[in-house]
Amino acid sequence: MIELLKKTPLNEAHHELRARMADFAGWQLPIWYTSILEEHRVVRSGVGMFDVSDMGRVWITGRKAGAFLDRVLTRPASRLEIGSSQLCLLCLEDGGILDDLWAYRLGTERYLIVWNAGDIEQKLGWLQRWAGSDPDIVIQDKTADTVMVAVQGPAVCQLQNLKGVCRLPRFGHTQTRIENVEVVAARTGYTGEDGFEIIGDAANALQLWESFMKQGVKPCGLGARDSLRLEAGMLLYGRDMDRNTNPFEAGLGWLVEMDDGDFIGKSALLEIKRQGVKRKHIGFQMTGQGIARSGYRIVRCGQEVGKVTSGGYAPTLDANIGFGYVPIELATIGTQIEIMIRNKPVAAQVVNRQFYKRGA
Amino acid sequence: MAPKEYKYTPEHEWICPESKNKGKVGLADYAQSQLGDVVFLDLPAPGTQVEQGKKMGEVESVKAVSDIFAPVSGQVLEINQTVIDEPGLVNKDPYGAGWLVRLELSKPSELDALMDSDKYNEFVAELSENESEQAGD
Repeated sequence: MIELLKKTPLNEAHHELRARMADFAGWQLPIWYTSILEEHRVVRSGVGMFDVSDMGRVWITGRKAGAFLDRVLTRPASRLEIGSSQLCLLCLEDGGILDDLWAYRLGTERYLIVWNAGDIEQKLGWLQRWAGSDPDIVIQDKTADTVMVAVQGPAVCQLQNLKGVCRLPRFGHTQTRIENVEVVAARTGYTGEDGFEIIGDAANALQLWESFMKQGVKPCGLGARDSLRLEAGMLLYGRDMDRNTNPFEAGLGWLVEMDDGDFIGKSALLEIKRQGVKRKHIGFQMTGQGIARSGYRIVRCGQEVGKVTSGGYAPTLDANIGFGYVPIELATIGTQIEIMIRNKPVAAQVVNRQFYKRGA
Repeated sequence: MAPKEYKYTPEHEWICPESKNKGKVGLADYAQSQLGDVVFLDLPAPGTQVEQGKKMGEVESVKAVSDIFAPVSGQVLEINQTVIDEPGLVNKDPYGAGWLVRLELSKPSELDALMDSDKYNEFVAELSENESEQAGD
């Protein structure tokens, strides 16, 4: 069976810019336009933009929308004020992570969730299963009908058409117009910089994109998206966490709120927390020569102790960094580990996972 | 464009014969454009014997890891320390400052099996054509 790659509403624009395209989670997306390093640096020093339309956008509405989300998410969404948002997890009954997502409260009974591009059918099925046939819970996947552009970097508020939304606090969002295009604009991102994620109708995608192009905002691809989030200490679903990892070993315990009502996975997570985790997601920096890549083995004295989950060159630090899982006793900052690179152990050291901090 | 005096492999290495049995080796422009920003090179130490068509090192860009194959057999005389310190030279000047190693050829006749610049340019043009066809799907 031939599976056709999905194309975002900006696909033609990327081809016109002669972007290097690749398959990512079933989507044809730009990896880079001119250079990953250039694109990475522009987001750290100026402003760049990403077509992130591959991210799933699902509206949850109805009288019981809030109560429903409280049940399936690890942090209560109904507690959010209208115009605010939060990162949270979708967990299975056994506490395994099904996805990480942003929940935005648009109105009293209106929410938007933005999740990763992978496993859409399974995740929608999961939500439907818990919503049942309740007419007061309406789940609408509008990913194909909308576009999502992330405009990120310290100079973002110098852009004329974003002046209006620059009053928003961090994680705040609003329904507004940018260049006469109706959008939801949120002060969120995945780069470690100030910025906005902007969602509009697919029909207006090009108009929105062009309005930023005209102001000299540099288009940036998946390559920079990955290196920026890695430097900023942000996890990627499918690499750094999946169904077989729980939030505590992933270092995402802060996204699990046990004090409020019941949610799916809560009893399993309480038990995991009580027992304590055996392994931990850590950050490391190479002290020897070499680049660690996802899937490489982490060793100590010739014994495999874990696997690299993300890794690469960090342009802002000019160092080679990565994430991986190691037994809890090796998770302390300063611990010496080795990464097997082409059958040779190369020295590395456990460091704080947030390699890069804005304004530092 | 690929320099006229160089010889090329189908894996996009080049060799510039300096004398009868010595030559500099590097990566062709097409290779660097496919890889993107090069950030790390793993090259054979001086003294290492390499064999034509066999892997002699690795090049890593931000996104990808790729093998480097020996264009001819011989011994590594020298590695380019400048490119080790600044791997981006492979992108900036693939046929010049971005050279990788100098070899002493053990079988200079192996050069005859490599492509000259005309043949190599044709080879790359064909690859690029296939690529744009795929992108246009």
